[in-house]
Amino acid sequence: MGESINLAVEAKGISKSFGGVLALDNVNLELRKGEVHALLGENGAGKTTLSNILAGLYRADGGTVLVDGAEREFHSPSQAIEAGIGMVHQHFRLVPPMTVAENLHLGSPDTPAIVSQKKLVASARRMMDEIGLEVDPTARVWQLSVGEQQRVEILRVLARGAKVLILDEPTAVLTAQEAKDLFVVIRRLVAGGRTVVFISHKLNEVIEISDRITVLRGGKHVVTRDAAGATPRELARLMTGEELDNSVEHRTVDGSVVLDLIDVFARNHRGIEALHGVNLQVRSGEILGIAGVSGNGQTELSEVVTGLRRTQSGSISIAGTDVTGGTTRSIAELGVGHIPEDRIGVGMAGSASVKDNAILRHYRSSELSSGTRLKRGSVIDFAKRLVAAGRVQTRSINMPAGQMSGGNQQRLVAKRESMIADRLLVAAHPTRGLDVLATKEVQSAIVERRDNGCAVLMISDDLDEVMLMSDRIAVMYEGRVMGIFDRSQFDRERIGMLMGGQVEGAPS
Amino acid sequence: MSLPFRFARRLEVNNKRSTSYRISGAIAGLVASGLLLLLTSRNPIRLLGQSLDAIFGSQRGIEGVMVQSIPILMCAIGVALSLRMKIWNIGSDGQFLMGAFAAVGVGTKLDVPHWLLIILMALIASIAGAAWILIPALARAYWGVNEIITTLLLNFVALQLVLWSALGFWRDKKSQVTQSTEAVQAVLPRFPGLDSVSISFIVPIVLAVLFWFVFRSTRVGYEIDMIGGNANAAEFAGINVKRRIVTVMLLTGAIAGLGGMLQLTGAPGAQALSGGFSNRFGLSGFIVAALAGASFAGVLVAGLFISAMFYAGIALQTKGLSVYIIFGIYGVVLVGIAVGETMARFRLTRTDPTSAATTTGASA
Repeated sequence: MGESINLAVEAKGISKSFGGVLALDNVNLELRKGEVHALLGENGAGKTTLSNILAGLYRADGGTVLVDGAEREFHSPSQAIEAGIGMVHQHFRLVPPMTVAENLHLGSPDTPAIVSQKKLVASARRMMDEIGLEVDPTARVWQLSVGEQQRVEILRVLARGAKVLILDEPTAVLTAQEAKDLFVVIRRLVAGGRTVVFISHKLNEVIEISDRITVLRGGKHVVTRDAAGATPRELARLMTGEELDNSVEHRTVDGSVVLDLIDVFARNHRGIEALHGVNLQVRSGEILGIAGVSGNGQTELSEVVTGLRRTQSGSISIAGTDVTGGTTRSIAELGVGHIPEDRIGVGMAGSASVKDNAILRHYRSSELSSGTRLKRGSVIDFAKRLVAAGRVQTRSINMPAGQMSGGNQQRLVAKRESMIADRLLVAAHPTRGLDVLATKEVQSAIVERRDNGCAVLMISDDLDEVMLMSDRIAVMYEGRVMGIFDRSQFDRERIGMLMGGQVEGAPS
Repeated sequence: MSLPFRFARRLEVNNKRSTSYRISGAIAGLVASGLLLLLTSRNPIRLLGQSLDAIFGSQRGIEGVMVQSIPILMCAIGVALSLRMKIWNIGSDGQFLMGAFAAVGVGTKLDVPHWLLIILMALIASIAGAAWILIPALARAYWGVNEIITTLLLNFVALQLVLWSALGFWRDKKSQVTQSTEAVQAVLPRFPGLDSVSISFIVPIVLAVLFWFVFRSTRVGYEIDMIGGNANAAEFAGINVKRRIVTVMLLTGAIAGLGGMLQLTGAPGAQALSGGFSNRFGLSGFIVAALAGASFAGVLVAGLFISAMFYAGIALQTKGLSVYIIFGIYGVVLVGIAVGETMARFRLTRTDPTSAATTTGASA
């Protein structure tokens, strides 16, 4: 009995299926008061489904939910929040043109029908004082950084009296500093007796912030354990059910220069100079990783190389062909693939079918078209082949690509681009947002291209990933290449200093 | 408190289901209209009988629907083409009028053999329709100006220009009817075996089949669909998006403009230009394209259906039914089709009885 008093929420035997697919199978979850409880699992493990049931967005097919010892069933998120359970979703549900104060009061039953901006701001300040979280209440949401917007979401949920706060992959959208700030907020909340459910598949983070960890796999409960003493390797095994070999073989190759940038200058989309005389060479059979804090010209670099952005001056050549000012199409035809940073916004059309997205780079080839006509049979064969080879999980190639999970959209784009990358693959944040298994798959695909003689330019703001994957590392800071490290010279500390603009870290 | 059924979104909507839901929606709309008519103490069954009789009872009825359908289909095909690119051309009425305007200019002023005149009129009408959308097309492609507003506003300009010509510079001074231009003398031959339908009826059918093929099996069709799906992705793949937008928009204008010329030289009693020359064909065409979901086979079906309703409405007016009631029925049927289209994306599932049972013990 003593323990059940300490339980904020107890979910017993929760099951849920979607269209015949079992998403949750008899899952139990106990949330104690004042703890950070991590829900860990691969994409599709059931983390989000379980939280959506607790937050009243879905209804369970079976099982019971006890809040403070009393059985409850929620038909809507507002009923869940009345019972004290609130959720902050991965994609924010704020109204960008409205102020923070307005957003905090939006849809709340306590907001009076007629109210002045002044009263809203005052009431917002009161909420922030009570909860102990600060955001300028008069600022408009679109002016805020992503981290601040997330704080508004958290405030909005807590202001309705939530005692249990569910955060769905809260750090996926944050910078490293913002993530640190969020952790401070989380610790303060649990110190005040609240419960935080932290959904993630980033293992280091989970170990750092949580008190207890529940691992789900394939809709089933695997284990609930204390975070203290857990290792990333052990958690990864529990999540994936297999031992992952997380190493990449490196060797020094002396391939010919494929990508050659000489003194390249370019502006960003706001017209400000983003590349400041970049000199870089990527050789056949090597992965050159670009390390740097995001926003230091990496995005523009990938865009000038693939023809999406004009250069101001300097020259770019690929396999000896000058491509300065070339079109995306002419560059792609040289055998250049591009996994773009914004996959959904640039790399694919979500409303178009998986099939149409699969052929985006190949539809002009003689395999898929003759003259002006597309060969429909070959198109279907090709799409099926790509889906199978890229391990894209989809019910049908005629389904809109945007309805697949993010990981599968990523696999589709990554495979499509790898297939045309005979000479050069430009991969911008290729594993961002992916779970452990999918990350491993995409990384192996990149290594496989390299081993076949392709030159790879890889951009990532995850230094661990850059150090794992790269044969050489170039550090970028404020649009310049600060230094280039051979694998034997890799030194996290020196690379980190260069990323911050301190030249003492430069390699000899 | 909880319903035994609920709606769940379908992951995939196939064309067959979508079509059958739309048709069921149209039928439901007709039934609902019948109930409304009952409330006004009219006999819906008899009115339906009269409508069907007006359409199918005689060759005249069927021909009337065909005549009605030509301008609607021409506008609808143009609109559907731009909708594939997610471009909303609301201005097909204006392009239609400008096509007719240019055709009248050539048709009444040039003295050449009629067969040559017909060809020249078709050409100039297509060019005029395209020219009327040139500015919205360039503005949309190069500066991102919303085409809905620009194309819509140009409709009013086109209408004023037509009125000006009919009342002013091209007014037919010999005619009793003072508010129209001179009639063109070169007209299209009748469709073999028909009294009032000209051979222009085959033009929208040929165009619909052509575009159906283009979007089914050609690279250009695929590129247009990808631009509609995500212009950034199309650009990423090396498609010249701006140029394609301009080309497709000009083509939609040209089709509507050609429609104006076909009406002028083909429809009975429409050989002169006046303020009432376009009976809101652009609007009907837009509705047809939207109902058809920009599918070209669908455009033909929906276009003939709307034209039949139009024609039945005219026939019922002569039976003393107010034009407003006819518009009302028109609206209810369209809503029925739109609801059907939405319903096709969902399915009804049974909520699990066990979870319904636990509901009772909820707020204890």
